[in-house]
Amino acid sequence: MPLGFELVELTADERALQQEVREFLARELPRGSFEPGLGMDNPSDRGFSKRLAERGWVGMAIPKRYGGHERGAVYRFIVVEELLRWGAPIHHHWTADRQSAQVILKFGTEEQKQRFIPAICAGELGFSIGLSEPDAGSDLAAIKTRAVKVDGGWQVNGTKVWTTGAHETDWFIMLCRTSDAEDRHDGLSQLLVDLHSPGVQINAIPFLDGGHHFNEVVLTDVFVPDDLLVGEEGRGWLQTGSELSFERGGPDRLLSPWLLVEEFLREHEGTPLGERATATLGWAVARFWGIRQLSIAVNRMIDQGRAPAAESALVKDMATRFEQDVIEAVRQLVEVSPSLESGSLFERLLARSVLAGPSYTIRGGTTEVLVGVVSKGLR
Amino acid sequence: MTTTTTTADELLVDTARKVFIETCTFEVVEAAERDGWAASVWEAVAGVGLPWVGVPEAVGGVGGTLADALAVLRLAGQHSAPIPLAETGLLAGWLLASAGLPVGQGPATVVPGSARDSLSLGGGRLTGTAFGVPWASAVERIVLLVEDGGRWKVGSIAAVDAEVERSLNLAGEPRDTITLDGVPVELAPTDVDAAAFERRGALTRVVLMAGALDAMSRLTLDYTAGREQFGRPVARFQLVQEHLVHCAQDAALVGIAADAASRAAVLGDASFEIAAAKALASRAATTATRAAHQAHGAMGMTREYALHHLSRRLWAWRSEFGDEHRWNNEVGTAAIAAGADELYPLVANGSDRRTRT
Repeated sequence: MPLGFELVELTADERALQQEVREFLARELPRGSFEPGLGMDNPSDRGFSKRLAERGWVGMAIPKRYGGHERGAVYRFIVVEELLRWGAPIHHHWTADRQSAQVILKFGTEEQKQRFIPAICAGELGFSIGLSEPDAGSDLAAIKTRAVKVDGGWQVNGTKVWTTGAHETDWFIMLCRTSDAEDRHDGLSQLLVDLHSPGVQINAIPFLDGGHHFNEVVLTDVFVPDDLLVGEEGRGWLQTGSELSFERGGPDRLLSPWLLVEEFLREHEGTPLGERATATLGWAVARFWGIRQLSIAVNRMIDQGRAPAAESALVKDMATRFEQDVIEAVRQLVEVSPSLESGSLFERLLARSVLAGPSYTIRGGTTEVLVGVVSKGLR
Repeated sequence: MTTTTTTADELLVDTARKVFIETCTFEVVEAAERDGWAASVWEAVAGVGLPWVGVPEAVGGVGGTLADALAVLRLAGQHSAPIPLAETGLLAGWLLASAGLPVGQGPATVVPGSARDSLSLGGGRLTGTAFGVPWASAVERIVLLVEDGGRWKVGSIAAVDAEVERSLNLAGEPRDTITLDGVPVELAPTDVDAAAFERRGALTRVVLMAGALDAMSRLTLDYTAGREQFGRPVARFQLVQEHLVHCAQDAALVGIAADAASRAAVLGDASFEIAAAKALASRAATTATRAAHQAHGAMGMTREYALHHLSRRLWAWRSEFGDEHRWNNEVGTAAIAAGADELYPLVANGSDRRTRT
């Protein structure tokens, strides 16, 4: 097998950390005291993000000189898997912590690092992702948002879509065209854009369940100063590529339906489950266990300084297809008509996951795009 | 066993790789199936002591760790080695060592145990029939786990004392029926019970399957990169790429599951990891072979091309020592026993989750 996944053995410190996060959650966010989210689909709670930051659980893979904790991707994996499986409200700092801070750290100027990263690590600044456009989804190089050079900066016009959380976050890192080149992958650049800037209009794109996650971000003559260009002008495509390993290889691609399984078991505790339900539960638990090992291995590769683009795409594709299979398997174990209004948490989670499930294999790179990325790595 | 080394000796693994590459050629694997034995492979492998790696020297093994033995077995799976490697050391040798009984010089096997078996013990002799005994026609010693007076004992008999009726699994590996008529048996008590024995057997199949899936993924990548249709390699077609990716995913998943199960087995209680790994491996045997065969087209269905050495073994091994349904049930039962609050710790920390945290 040309791709190298190595089993990660947790150290005693890492196991102690796991225990610490579990105890923190049981104490600070006891079950029953909040409506849990499904993996990374959970509410934004600036106060909770700040409390996590105070524990050192935001910016864990960031150097100390920028307010981080220099603990690496595996350490971060251990903390966030516990938060995700608990359904904790981590949405506010999620994207900033997972990838925006990493992009700034890798490509940003010293001034940008000083300005943004400590605030991200403090759980204060929330980020969204400014990639997709109405005519550029999987074919990202087709983006049309354009930044034109003006005195002291850039004037930006264009529209971004499917921008999760933009109505609640503070900034996004936006990919736009800064020049026309023969190869359309050239001439793209990344800009840091304050979502409260004049000319930025954020319109809700209601999700199919009526919820507000997606937005359309319309940029009309938005001025972005020179010092907010991230990395090199014209190198935005390559920079975006490296960002995706962080976006794809994590436990958030596996744990979306975790609570559905856990709540199924909780609702049936004390009643015999029968052979079919037992086998289904075993099937799900075995796969959560196995895919988790692959996901944590991707994070070890990141810590080793490798760029596991193919490995993270391989895991993301397998994990998200499994997530959808879990929802269907659990749904068939119970005789209920799922409803968002149900009095049972399990049934509410079932309803939400049935409605949200199709997005798992779309967001963060569609299955079809991922197959291409993995194939390149297998050659 | 006192050692808890979780990584295998690199020199040993290199030696084993060379031996398997040199001896397990396509023709040799074919001939072994026809003849029921591959003397050239066995002699080369036994010549460097590989069947007895992980068996203590005190009982006649060559020492080394369980991690070493499992790493060698994985290579055997990769190369479709047509010999009772898992049976001789990891199963028979392990059982004998657990009872302080001597391990002989030649190949050995174990009685896996099936619902149809009718072996009974009386006066130090065994009588009855047992099915699916790997390589019984080729080994010198047959080892089994028997209940005697309310406790578990390891029994060891000379293979020549058994009447052997040849039978084959889907891969053409001997899975014979043995009939015993008052055969004298060497008996000694052991702390291994039926569940531990089944788990050990399942672990050997997981590791073999991880090796075979890895080889199958590579073979399929190579074939589709070279085979051209419509003027380009078939690996360039997106629908074919999907097969390649699915096969590689299964290989990666079972590979890391085998690593995790092996590591847990070296450290102690591996009941959860082995159950989960065998459930995943048996399922992957279905999905990965389907993808690999589809990507190969008609060529993969021929006797002359090596894919069937791997795919038929995967189909055979997925059922041995428990199929996916049996092990899904085991994992599900462990999940129910853990309960909702401890379910995630079970996934993240495995069998030993309480003592290790």
